[in-house]
Amino acid sequence: VSHPQDLSLRRQALAVAAGELDPGELLAATLARIDERDGELNSVVARFPEESERMLAAAPPGPLHGVPVAVKDMFQLPWRGPRDGSPREALPPGESAVFRLLRDAGAVVVGVTQMHFWGGGATGHISAYGPVGNPWNVEHVGGGSSGGSAAAVGARLVAGAVGTDGGGSVRIPAGFCGITGLKTTNGSVPTSGYTHGYSSMGAIGPMCRDAADARLLGSVLLGRELLPSEAGGLTVGLVRDPFWTDLDPEAEAASRAALDAAGWPTVDLTIDAAEHALVATVLRLTLEGLPNVTDEELAEADPLMRALVKYERLLPAELLMRADRVRALLRRSVVRAFESCDVLAWPTIPAPAPRIDNPTITLPSGPVPADAATVRQTGIGNLTGLPGVSVPVGTHSSGLPLALQLTAHWGREELLLDAAEHIERATDRIHVDAVPPIAAPSAA
Amino acid sequence: MDTFERYVRAGLELQGAEVDDVDLAIMRAADAVYGPGFEALQSADLSHVWSEPDLDPGHPPKPLA
Repeated sequence: VSHPQDLSLRRQALAVAAGELDPGELLAATLARIDERDGELNSVVARFPEESERMLAAAPPGPLHGVPVAVKDMFQLPWRGPRDGSPREALPPGESAVFRLLRDAGAVVVGVTQMHFWGGGATGHISAYGPVGNPWNVEHVGGGSSGGSAAAVGARLVAGAVGTDGGGSVRIPAGFCGITGLKTTNGSVPTSGYTHGYSSMGAIGPMCRDAADARLLGSVLLGRELLPSEAGGLTVGLVRDPFWTDLDPEAEAASRAALDAAGWPTVDLTIDAAEHALVATVLRLTLEGLPNVTDEELAEADPLMRALVKYERLLPAELLMRADRVRALLRRSVVRAFESCDVLAWPTIPAPAPRIDNPTITLPSGPVPADAATVRQTGIGNLTGLPGVSVPVGTHSSGLPLALQLTAHWGREELLLDAAEHIERATDRIHVDAVPPIAAPSAA
Repeated sequence: MDTFERYVRAGLELQGAEVDDVDLAIMRAADAVYGPGFEALQSADLSHVWSEPDLDPGHPPKPLA
């Protein structure tokens, strides 16, 4: 390994703790790599070397002592207010809970990552700071809304980043970028100083190259150690309709192959009202945020976001009430589902990342905007509040990653990471260790 | 002017908001994607379903009384 950011998050932490890696040199190398490699990718919206150096100088002992991490542009930092992908501060500078958790673990915040404008999309191609590219092909989207975090980790700019997930915003970009993203149980990571802390849908989570790194960063965020266990004897629930329907054939095959390799028994299940999960997600997610949008902000917003807000303001209130009834049905139904399985499984993304200049996914049913196609796979996790993990499971013939999503009972993040590590071992780690072109040795 | 455009223009006028052709085109595209799902939700029989008045998405729902 010639560059410390080619090490995993846990290896960086171990090497610093053992005195084998100087954290000052690690920080300098990380900043240099961001400068060298992030140009076209556009994953990091701000970096602040002096503040990072001050954070390192004051870093206490901890599981991430001296290790650089990046955070999505939704968290207050003492020196910078989050912008939420928009041109203006959504909150003033301050100490968000996520900042405090990272600081107290000894981590060094090295940059703020890009995101979809207001967090309102799964592609990341709309932002006041330009589109986020994909480390596997910068002409394709990095995903959203935590696309910058996913792209930065995928490109080996940092080994760990914090994302947020209100409708799939950790899992979708993780899937697009070929990394591991954990959506925690709603409310399990404290939300003070988080721009969408008002939301009943949002959850905060680690985005890393593999499950062991997500376990390390996730333990810091959750404030409890996510201890590993064997996951060889799980039963997997398959909800074929709608989550295994209308998929890119390669995306479906990659997820099936990963489950076959894992060797887990499967059981077919149905979830009540699952066919309404997409629109219920869209209603809850967007309408909860509407009161935050002032006329002034709307006037200077991206034209697409501005028009969508106007559209949302015309939706009948009854639809939101109906969405909440769907939410109740879904939550009661998944309780029953977990009586006969340990985890639910289906593809995170129905197809690989679309192009930035045409963020549309082609499915067997025809072309579908990527937002609708992807949130169909993930929104149920936000409505129910269940934790979910996106695991890299293949490479599409286009050269872009494919991913499997596992969902577990509330509070069972450990089980998800155990299962993800089981899949990694069963597939000889070929997918989590795959290096995108932007991070290949010749590109360094 | 079709029903959709009349609804959008009248609704936004009532809110004191302006709408231009770009807005309208984007809203029409969004409605083409999500409108059928909204209609299906609107027509679903949910009369027997209660939402959770004490929703805590971080935990399982409480058993129905």
